[in-house]
Amino acid sequence: MFEIGFNERGDVVVSGRLDAANAPRAQAFLNEINGSCILDLSALNYISSAGLGVLLSTHKRLSADRSGLELVNVNPHINDIFRYSGFDKLFVIRSA
Amino acid sequence: MKKTYKRSFDQLAQIVADTNRFFEEQDIDDSLRMKVDLALEELFVNMVTYNTESDREILLEMRPIERGVEVSLTDYDVERFDPTVVRDIDTDAPLSERTPGGLGLFLVLKMADSIYYEYRDRTSKITFRNIMSAGEAADDV
Repeated sequence: MFEIGFNERGDVVVSGRLDAANAPRAQAFLNEINGSCILDLSALNYISSAGLGVLLSTHKRLSADRSGLELVNVNPHINDIFRYSGFDKLFVIRSA
Repeated sequence: MKKTYKRSFDQLAQIVADTNRFFEEQDIDDSLRMKVDLALEELFVNMVTYNTESDREILLEMRPIERGVEVSLTDYDVERFDPTVVRDIDTDAPLSERTPGGLGLFLVLKMADSIYYEYRDRTSKITFRNIMSAGEAADDV
């Protein structure tokens, strides 16, 4: 189960499993985002390298305009993956 | 557990469901799930993506071992590719030098407690193990 959409504050909410099967849908959604963006990952329970690639490519595109992604409500398991991948040095990350 | 899967990312949901069932039936500790799921997806996706000359289904085997699980993926009629020999990723590189991709097998080596590769008669078999640490096992008692 994977979902991506906006919450009432205008943050992007990602939930479920961001794996290789779901990464194209996440990428298509995030391709429509411009400017700074907060990603609420409180309901994201799994991410693979395909999902990491989506976050990285979106962050690079937005950073070119001095914006970027901020990752919030990150659970400890996902945070471990971010740390292994060096994403903790590339993104603003706020743990749950 | 022994089951084959078509060469498609769409099979990932079924692999997750089958892994769930296996963990429940064998009473394997859930703390290993994230690591097993991640290593399994990355290896399966790698086979589907790069072993394009084969149309054979990929065999997944799982068996319980002491304090953990052993997982094997076998791909038939393919060239040799040893995923345990991969270039390191510079995780300290700045954003401008990072590119999407290349993290998959890097993460497999991070997730698996042990991993080994066999190649014979155009058949690739990769096996990894995840085991609860002594501390985790003690906490579980």
